[in-house]
Amino acid sequence: MSLVLEFELNGRPCRTSVPAHFTVLDLLRDGLALLGTKDGCGEGVCGACTVLLDGEPVRGCIVLAARVAGRAVVTIEGVGGEGPDALQEMFATHGAAQCGFCTPGMILSARSLLAVNASPSAHDVREALAGNLCRCTGYVKIVEAVLAAAGRSAACASIPSS
Amino acid sequence: MRLHPFELIEPSSVAEAVAALGGADGEARLVAGGTALVPMLRMGLLRPGRVISLHRIAELGRFAVSGGSLHVGAMVTMAAIGRSPEIARGWPLLAAAAGRVATPAIRSSATLGGNLGYAEPASDPAPALMCLEAEVDVAGPTGARSLPLSRFFAGFYETALAPGEILTGVRVPAAPPGARSGYVKFCPRSAEDKPLVGVAALLVMDAGAGRCVEARIGLGAVAPSAIRASRAEAILRGATVDAATIRAAADAAVEETDPLSDLMGSAEYRRQMVRVWVRRLLTSLANG
Repeated sequence: MSLVLEFELNGRPCRTSVPAHFTVLDLLRDGLALLGTKDGCGEGVCGACTVLLDGEPVRGCIVLAARVAGRAVVTIEGVGGEGPDALQEMFATHGAAQCGFCTPGMILSARSLLAVNASPSAHDVREALAGNLCRCTGYVKIVEAVLAAAGRSAACASIPSS
Repeated sequence: MRLHPFELIEPSSVAEAVAALGGADGEARLVAGGTALVPMLRMGLLRPGRVISLHRIAELGRFAVSGGSLHVGAMVTMAAIGRSPEIARGWPLLAAAAGRVATPAIRSSATLGGNLGYAEPASDPAPALMCLEAEVDVAGPTGARSLPLSRFFAGFYETALAPGEILTGVRVPAAPPGARSGYVKFCPRSAEDKPLVGVAALLVMDAGAGRCVEARIGLGAVAPSAIRASRAEAILRGATVDAATIRAAADAAVEETDPLSDLMGSAEYRRQMVRVWVRRLLTSLANG
């Protein structure tokens, strides 16, 4: 069984047909060849497949593709224009990416935070990124990068580890 | 890894959903937010031929206050509950528990109906709703009915839903005037985990006498489903809520649990943590 889906993808209208059992992650990676959204744990825990659905962060691996009909999806491919946006720039400047596998999900979770909270505290950032696991950086530089992108001094450097 | 193929049905009314479920002869599964069902499909624990998604049923995605009572449609997400100023004002205990479920990207998908219908023993909202004496609305082939949440849970991941029935919403009465309430969850591994122990409590204090007029305690993750610690409540009602009373109530709450051992902790550890977290929450509410 397949579905015809019409939705907005990274600001542009998209119409595509996918098998009914596809998740949003399958739709993006296998249906549309958008490989920026990563396939991590497959059970909603690691956050590598985070995308925005009507501005809210969701896990692509556990949301059925049918749920995007008539709604707006933003993936990492939709972030930045000619150059990187502020979050991408600050992730690079602060060394907040190492292997990079978690980075698209981190950027999208951070973007959803900044959309509703323009000047978050380090605690706010940690709460917003609680479901995005990074096995390389230890999170400190990621939190600094998000704070810097929000225009806050990253001088609040000593971030407790728990 | 892909999910195994299934036919997806997207009804646009409760009546259509009930008909689809009845017509599937037990071969269909309902999906709300998918945060529980989709991982089970991926692991192959369930292989339904049909999946019925409730997301097109507009009435299930709304909440409303009427006559002082809150009605939450089954498809309302934890995120929507957690950010509603109206729910935060009138039902802060529900808002607190919904806001503590997992992580932001799970709360934006996970629904109240899905959480209760799955009968997750370690549910965050369930002990809060038990304290608030919520009722669930159910629709089925023979019509609609309501029942208290305490009777909706029938065991470990089991509900009182009959074959063909769908949980359509939750009714939450107003808390008693002057109630103070809170929800705490103890997660020994990471903050986004299911709780090892979840405690919801609601107290009404007599302002003058310093006595407790009403006490309700809901416990999650320490029994086959969320429970009320009624013996602990009875110790508090009418009493001066001092340290000794709180200790006695916390000790009584431990005796009302029936915990399992799992990877997060042993049954005995859970029992001890009930004692600790009931005491801490009651202390904070009594001083509040």
